[in-house]
Amino acid sequence: MPRNPLRNLDQDRTTLSGVPRAVAPALAVGGGVALAVAFALAWSRDASLRDFSASYLISFCFFLSISLGALLFVALQHLVRAGWSVTVRRLAELLAANVSCLAILFLPILVPLLVGRSGLYEWSDPEAVAADKLLEAKAAYLNVPFFAIRAGVYFLVWGLLGRFFLVQSSRQDDSGDPGLTRRMERASAATLILFALTVTFASFDWLMSLEPAWFSTIFGLYFFSGAVVAFFAALILLALGLQAGGWLTSSITTEHYHELGKLLLGFIIFWGYMAFSQYMLIWYANLPEESVWYLARQTGPWTWLSVGLLFGHLLIPFFGLLSREVKRRRILLGGWAAWMLVVHWIDLYWLVMPTFAPEHLPFGLIDVCCIIGVGCLFLAGLLGVARGRALVPLKDPRLHESLVFENS
Amino acid sequence: MSHTDRKSDAPPGTLRVAGILAEFDGPVALKAAAAGVREAGYTVFEAYSPFPVHGLHAATQRVPGRRRTLLPWLVLGGGIAGGLGALLLQWWTNALDYPYRISGKPLFSLPANIPITFELIILLSALAAFAGGLMLSGLPELFHPLFACARFRRVTTDAFFLAIEASDPQFDETAAAVLLRSLGARQTEVYCQPETQRRLPGVLVAAAVILVPLLLLPPLWIAKVRYARKASPRIHLITDMDFQPKYLPQQSSPVSLFADGRAMRPPVAGTVAVDQPLEADHFLRGETGGKPATTFPVPVTAALMQRGRQRYDIYCATCHGLAGDGDGITSQLAVEREEPKWVRPLSLHNQSVRDQPVGQLFKTVSQGVRTMPGYGSQIPVEDRWAILLYVRALQRTRTATIRDVPQEKRKYLELTGPADAEKPATKP
Repeated sequence: MPRNPLRNLDQDRTTLSGVPRAVAPALAVGGGVALAVAFALAWSRDASLRDFSASYLISFCFFLSISLGALLFVALQHLVRAGWSVTVRRLAELLAANVSCLAILFLPILVPLLVGRSGLYEWSDPEAVAADKLLEAKAAYLNVPFFAIRAGVYFLVWGLLGRFFLVQSSRQDDSGDPGLTRRMERASAATLILFALTVTFASFDWLMSLEPAWFSTIFGLYFFSGAVVAFFAALILLALGLQAGGWLTSSITTEHYHELGKLLLGFIIFWGYMAFSQYMLIWYANLPEESVWYLARQTGPWTWLSVGLLFGHLLIPFFGLLSREVKRRRILLGGWAAWMLVVHWIDLYWLVMPTFAPEHLPFGLIDVCCIIGVGCLFLAGLLGVARGRALVPLKDPRLHESLVFENS
Repeated sequence: MSHTDRKSDAPPGTLRVAGILAEFDGPVALKAAAAGVREAGYTVFEAYSPFPVHGLHAATQRVPGRRRTLLPWLVLGGGIAGGLGALLLQWWTNALDYPYRISGKPLFSLPANIPITFELIILLSALAAFAGGLMLSGLPELFHPLFACARFRRVTTDAFFLAIEASDPQFDETAAAVLLRSLGARQTEVYCQPETQRRLPGVLVAAAVILVPLLLLPPLWIAKVRYARKASPRIHLITDMDFQPKYLPQQSSPVSLFADGRAMRPPVAGTVAVDQPLEADHFLRGETGGKPATTFPVPVTAALMQRGRQRYDIYCATCHGLAGDGDGITSQLAVEREEPKWVRPLSLHNQSVRDQPVGQLFKTVSQGVRTMPGYGSQIPVEDRWAILLYVRALQRTRTATIRDVPQEKRKYLELTGPADAEKPATKP
């Protein structure tokens, strides 16, 4: 244990100033090209937006969930006045503030809806609504203008909250004013309430309404639990990547990875609890209007993907991450984090795709291009948010506690 | 840490050195002292502080790092036992010992069993962690020799102590005291273990040997009289339900209750006994001269037939089927779900049903038969006869020939009905 960890931090590389300025624009251009390729591939197939939109929605929700998980993490750390997490909190603040980038990335979903050419949401088609009494009854909520307004509200809330925590925390880097910490702590409880409401309704709007006749009140929690898993996995990989590149080498220690690994394991179990709670009630009641959703996921090849999720998203990583040694070895923890990101993408694919391809598992270049495209743009946005900021809250009053933190 | 349990020949009441206790100024001094004692080669010593001190645990460990403990394996064992036990319990009770199908679900199906399994895994893991933690820490420990030191009581408020125990292989009172003082101890103090009589007095043992079997006798006796088969009434442990303060038929009651002193009331004037013959027996009971009637007591009209069809479709068709074949939707569903207690209703076209006089069928509708409940309380008498009229009509549909059709309507049937009119007409 270093005698004076703060002095050690002085030698740490804590800003991205070494990264060339051209990287972010290059990533953005690359992402744009990948998305254009995906769009062209889908359009050349049947001259409709549907295949592209469905695939894009998955990748969009994938990166959105990472940002949302980050916002939860930041607010939660302030709410409980956590000391251990200070050295990794700035990374989470950056991820959370990057939700503004995702607001722009939401336009490829919103704009086709507004011009009436989406094909993604059945309820946006006036003919389908006229033919279906149920859709007609739900039209008061499921209609394009209200959908757009709600999306605007969600992004406004997330954008402002993400920005708030990043800006306050960055100001503390200069002033060292502990009052800023108090201010963030006071805001954290309200943040979590707003977060719970917006995430629930956003998941209803963007994912659950793909099957407009189906409903599950726990759906928001299901999406949220997966999002937190994805965030912890992404944070672990981000920290490992930065350290491999020579940043933050002494401020993030095995102890922090151990703690992140514990939280990752905890939220994997939480995801399993939510997934099963949703499944069992629907399975037990066996009402046609509810069970139809699971029937689609227990038909043909989707059966194997459902079973695969049970093992890949819960049972295998549960036993994999159970041991203390695994969580303290960077290579193993990093491997499990990458695994969890992959299965989280599959989880979202499992939520979206059965609506559009009930008989087979469509996976191809369009999906790959969408992941790369949204991913590159997300990273470019992240670099933009991080530019000129320290990667660690340099003058946080609990920084010392975090640097010397040890798991008992 | 286990303190001294070595056998000693010293008589009870004498004191034996159990260790040496040193007080330090604060958590930092305590941590440094613990490290110093460890470096001096001591292995059996313990640090005491009013609050958890970070790093203190590591400083007391001979090999820096984590102490290996059995506890995780105990918890794992508890969890596995809970999970397997829960599955076994549910399989045995639901699928084996008392199979009962609920909502058409399989008798043993994993999704329904997971909540119980999950809860029992948690419960037994937690119990294993709790009991294992106590056991591995040597708790409960009713007496510790350090309790004899007056100063040591302050350890829960503001004092920091380190004790080297006498069971340490290299323990020596003087050397240990010198070491502790050199490490900055404010004071050192030798503390002792009183030699106590560890065996229970013989009187207590003898009393226990006699009392424990005696205490077992009452519950054994109660169990025997509760469950043994015999002619006399069993013992009533809780008498409230068995002996109620009430008057039974044929008993006398106090005059204050009923003026005639009888607990039982005579029947209301005009009451008819169940088997008493009546003028309206044909209509009310379907009997003529004590035998099932073979005729209808009400005028047979088209309106009655229509009424009967409507009532049949409401009350009877769910089980017997719209055409009386015993294939109603309730019956189909029960057969499909393999309801264990379901008996398929007999087809009304069965010869045994056809042969029954209509009065017999009236009795069946009114009072039920086999598992079919009686409908006397739900369907008015007139409607019951109407239903039977419709049932008779249904039965005729399977055996009627063209000769049963009135002359003037045959032509119509020949135009629209089945080609071969001599054969029984098909189902409508």
